[in-house]
Amino acid sequence: MKKENRIWFWSIAIIILVALTLIIINIANPNTQGSTVITDKEWYKGNSEAQVTLIEYSDFQCPACATYYQMINKIADDMGDDVQVVFRHYPLSSHPQAELAARAAEAAGQQDAFWQMHDKLFVHQNTWSNQSDAKDIFIGYAEELSLDIARFKSDIDNNDIKDAVKDDKRSGNQALVEGTPTLFLNGQKINNPRSYDKLRQAINDELSKLQ
Amino acid sequence: MTNSDKPSMMSSPSFNKLIYFFTGISLIGFLDAVYLSVSHYTGHISCSVVSGCQEVLVSQYSEIFGIPLALLGAAYYLFILINSLLYIDNQNKWSKLILSYLPIFGFVFSIYLVYLMFFVIEALCQYCLLSAGTSTLLFILGLIFIKKNKT
Repeated sequence: MKKENRIWFWSIAIIILVALTLIIINIANPNTQGSTVITDKEWYKGNSEAQVTLIEYSDFQCPACATYYQMINKIADDMGDDVQVVFRHYPLSSHPQAELAARAAEAAGQQDAFWQMHDKLFVHQNTWSNQSDAKDIFIGYAEELSLDIARFKSDIDNNDIKDAVKDDKRSGNQALVEGTPTLFLNGQKINNPRSYDKLRQAINDELSKLQ
Repeated sequence: MTNSDKPSMMSSPSFNKLIYFFTGISLIGFLDAVYLSVSHYTGHISCSVVSGCQEVLVSQYSEIFGIPLALLGAAYYLFILINSLLYIDNQNKWSKLILSYLPIFGFVFSIYLVYLMFFVIEALCQYCLLSAGTSTLLFILGLIFIKKNKT
């Protein structure tokens, strides 16, 4: 290769390499804003038009989530006009029954009983979380909720249901969720409040900021 | 470099083409490893085809002496890429030796990593599988390089 050609060859090679590397780094870097966008497929309580949105990434087998669910339910009951509470699955791999529990809630959701199953799973967490396979217990809960059992059994193993749980977890990964529960108030990750009053205060602060 | 150092088969068109394959595949391998390295440090990865990227990426096998395997992979592919560019530039014998024999080590290491994914971590990551694919292709190209060198 002539000297002049060599300069061109190496310059172009280095430029292409650096440009492609920067593009890949940009793609790999998470966009946490995107994952806090609410879609019409979400499980939510409260006012869907509200100015304040509280997203909870939760795991049905996580003891801390079982403590928080009552607090978050109460927020939805008390402040439902001003806030939209969104539930997203984030089953941790350290909890062997968590993913199945998430699918049970999704399957119940197909029969408009997501929140009823959500509450049942948390209330009875100690009953099923130590089981090697909690599916029969979840079917029992579906019976108690008077769901169509054949449909529930088929839905719990349905690929769309599995994908819905995976999609939630993926969005959690994008939002850099590390554990459960993780709360996002209008897209900003907040430290888990230690009491109902602290959570209510955080929401009120957000509301007053917007007014 | 003197003319005597230049391999005679560089005049063969198929040999010329081979080096461009080396460049392209090592570039893909490098970019894939960069993606995995960034994901390793941010602790986030999105997996659209196969599940388990997160598990693989945070497993105890994802680092050696505190250095992420993905970063070592990026260094490996970059080294191969630079040598293939050097070979295009001046056909030096050291680059030829590296391109012929280094992918053997890369391939053996890839087999070990694929074994870890399937049987130890029991989670699959599409980007890691892509890297296994590129290192296998480099290994095959290296073997062709060796064979052509002997004939």
